Amino acid sequence: MILAAATNPFIQSPGGAKFSIAFLGLFHTAVASLAIGFAFIVTVLQLLGYFRRDGRYDLLARRVQLWHVCIYNIGTINAIGLVFALSGLYPQFWSQIFTHFFWTLIAEELLFFMLATTLTLHYFFWDTMWGHKRLHIFMGALLTPMFFLQFFIINGMGSYMLTPAFSEGQVSLWSGTASILGWDKLAFYNPSFLMLTLHRTAANFAYGAFFVAAVCGIMLYRSQAGKKEDWSETGGRLAFSVGFMSFLTLPIIGFFYAWVLKYHGKEAYDNLMVGQGDVVAGGIDWWWTKQLIVAAMLGTGFAFARRSARTDREFSLPMVMVYTLAGVYFMFYLGMGMQMTWLFFWGSLGAAVLAGLWVTHLLDRYEGSGRAVFVLVGILSFLTVCLGGYVREAARPRFTNASGERVAGFNRLPQYADVYYGPERPGEVDIRMVLEKPAYMDELSPQRARVPDEGMTGADLVSARCISCHTLERIHVYKHSDWDRVVGRMRAYGTRLTEDEAQKIVDYLEGGQ
Amino acid sequence: MDLPVIDTPVFPRWVWMEEITYSHIPIATLVTAFMLLAPLFEYIGYRRKDLRWERLAKSFIWFSLILFSPGAALGTGIPMFIIGTYPEFWSRWANLFYWPLIVQFGFFLAEVFFLFFFYYLTWDAWQNRKKLHITMGVIAAFFGYMVQVVWDSLGAYMLTPGNTPLPQVTEPVAWSLPAMLNPSFPFLLSHRTFGNFSYVLLLTGGVFALRYRGQKRKDPNSENTTYFRWASQTCFLIGFFAFFAQPIIGWFYARVIQREAPAAFLAIMGGHSNIYFIIKMSLILFLLVVGGTFVVKRHGSKKVMWGATAGLLVVLLVVWLHPPLMWLAGSAVLWRLVSTAVILGLIGWLWWQRGTGNPERNAWQWAMFAVGLAAFFTFAMGGFVREHSKSPDTVYGEIVKPEQTQEEADRYLVYTKWLEPRGLYPSRLDEPPPEGWRQAVQTARDEGVVELTDDEAQRIIGFLEENHP
Repeated sequence: MILAAATNPFIQSPGGAKFSIAFLGLFHTAVASLAIGFAFIVTVLQLLGYFRRDGRYDLLARRVQLWHVCIYNIGTINAIGLVFALSGLYPQFWSQIFTHFFWTLIAEELLFFMLATTLTLHYFFWDTMWGHKRLHIFMGALLTPMFFLQFFIINGMGSYMLTPAFSEGQVSLWSGTASILGWDKLAFYNPSFLMLTLHRTAANFAYGAFFVAAVCGIMLYRSQAGKKEDWSETGGRLAFSVGFMSFLTLPIIGFFYAWVLKYHGKEAYDNLMVGQGDVVAGGIDWWWTKQLIVAAMLGTGFAFARRSARTDREFSLPMVMVYTLAGVYFMFYLGMGMQMTWLFFWGSLGAAVLAGLWVTHLLDRYEGSGRAVFVLVGILSFLTVCLGGYVREAARPRFTNASGERVAGFNRLPQYADVYYGPERPGEVDIRMVLEKPAYMDELSPQRARVPDEGMTGADLVSARCISCHTLERIHVYKHSDWDRVVGRMRAYGTRLTEDEAQKIVDYLEGGQ
Repeated sequence: MDLPVIDTPVFPRWVWMEEITYSHIPIATLVTAFMLLAPLFEYIGYRRKDLRWERLAKSFIWFSLILFSPGAALGTGIPMFIIGTYPEFWSRWANLFYWPLIVQFGFFLAEVFFLFFFYYLTWDAWQNRKKLHITMGVIAAFFGYMVQVVWDSLGAYMLTPGNTPLPQVTEPVAWSLPAMLNPSFPFLLSHRTFGNFSYVLLLTGGVFALRYRGQKRKDPNSENTTYFRWASQTCFLIGFFAFFAQPIIGWFYARVIQREAPAAFLAIMGGHSNIYFIIKMSLILFLLVVGGTFVVKRHGSKKVMWGATAGLLVVLLVVWLHPPLMWLAGSAVLWRLVSTAVILGLIGWLWWQRGTGNPERNAWQWAMFAVGLAAFFTFAMGGFVREHSKSPDTVYGEIVKPEQTQEEADRYLVYTKWLEPRGLYPSRLDEPPPEGWRQAVQTARDEGVVELTDDEAQRIIGFLEENHP
């Protein structure tokens, strides 16, 4: 027998477990978010092409859908890698999250399959369905709600990790039954779920559209033919407008998201606002960096929209609307400055103004063409998606084990019996984490699983030790005379029972009760 | 380890597991086989300057891309489902194979990059750089095949773990070379490789035959009609001859299972998986008779005839040497006589049918499709038999499935402690001793033929009296 020597209780990964997961997670998020944005922009382009009877929109839609098919598979495979990495590097966390969310993940998988099939049919049968254009557009339009449902599910889990608040799983843990298997409604609809979902929806639409604009910008740089150049400019402006309109909602949603964190993830909120914990890495506060980029993108968008309105280009907003929106956001950031620090206000204003000036310069340089702006905004949106995901994950407090030792990463102990609590979550109901303690909590027997076993009857032991893994129906599978052997075998497999406890269980089950 | 197990509605969890797995594996194997064949066919077309091969290769890749996304999405579901329903197995198995799983992910990613960006998207653009394009196809195929290599290694471990035990949840081994190079790995890999080629080409030949039939009705002289006729017959012929590698590899594979996983071997050879094995063999017989008849009618050259004859003689040799098959007729001599008569009869039938009749008749296109389906179900049944035979274990001899029943546990004991030490096959269980099972077990214990504790003896007697009275 030759086995690699295990010198550490956890699988080690180059750069550390956190780095590996962060790398795979951000890689996946960047690709998956792009896919969602692509699905949306393809439908917009197809609809425009259909109603304007302009084949160029359809051509661009088809090209975007081809990129979509290619990157979709990269995202899928990346998700598989993420599942494997989490299994090995964070085994307890991963097992626990499955006990809460197994059925949601299976539903997500089903959607995943439907999405993959619809996307494939939509692209590969583009010509075949030419005579059924409305059906084809409808098929493409189905992708957006399906994507939405899919990340609706992932958001339930992701937001739970930041604001677990009051889940059924915790209730069962406190009462000692550990009976949550597969679906935890309270955990899924946790306090930050709605805000994360809204934020990610708008962000993904913006990101996908900005990416398409960026590709149009690159095509403009590479293009030699005048006609094609015109079209890339038009396509880029359309994509930029769609992206910017989605993007404008983000600071507002983000404000309410932060507000939820303030009450349901206080330490995470503090980490973000004051710059603590893993939010600061390599000496850089990444949340602040992200905010500056967001402000720069606002400045970019307003400067571009102003120039488009002045020159009356296609897909431009009315000038009055540009100035109104700019005024609203100025007031909003002013309010944020009053709420947080004035540094935030002045920093954001400075970034927006500088970006606006630079965009004006770029537009002048390319004689009104948005090529450079398209590429710039694509890069900035990619950075905000990555940084947004990173700071959300990094904001969570680091956990400590039962002895108070600091543990790098989330839940690294292998045994459920040894679940440990962070400083903000002691082993009792933490009122700070919930708005109100439900009345029925007082009726539950406290910490039943931790009561010494001497006083437990056979029925108690079956409930505590057997039913956590097997259903009650299993009891009817065996004959009364089998139980001695069955219990013996379960002990051999590792169930922790003393002789006395095993005998109690056998007596109880043989008694046919 | 108290990992909670999630129960499934309607069907037991192993049925769901089979459903999910069998929705993924046919897609994955089709894609892998097409990816391996496409650059090869493209190369043949390039060398022979025959555009039909190029068209065939391109259609393989086009179809692979259609299947790729749904197949990958289903593949993601498999670990998800296992983690929830077989958590201890997954935790321990992923502990042993963490790095192979991550490396496999890398291969998968590389496969997508090369397949999509450097092979599919460049097909027309690189018409003047054909060698480079084919090279990209070969690289994509290499990474695709490496994904299969890793999974076959990990899958083979579940049946023949060899000397590498499954680590506990708290023992993160991360990877183990002996576990990867487990005893049945090379045989599973080669069996599946040739199996994939064979079933994919036979099925493709069958599907193209139906396309040929449809085109023929529209316009018998069109370019499409000529192409589909050629494509269906070419794929079918290659698939038919690729099949003959299977009995030889299968023989070695069976020997390894016999040595390394005797209870699984007994389950297949007369035990609880026997019925599925018989179905698989019946499908193979159908494939050989109908497929062979078409091949010799259509390609009646001496080369093809002697090739088919040699292939069938190899099958006969395998059958003769195959000790496990003694269960069928209860006697080695009888079994060999029957099998010799059947195979020699088949050879005679093929020579008699050589060049006769009209293989272009519509019925033959349907027959080719039926053979393609039979080949697919042979392949699917093979995988099912492999997994079913080790039940109730998920990793043979290492970990049992959570839903194991008492009957399954006792049956396993009968295989390992009653039949295997005495060199008997499960068919012998249908011949109860005149003195009764209790006495027979007692006698065997007294004579030292079997070593059983009182508890084991009691369970074996109980099982035999209840199931083989």
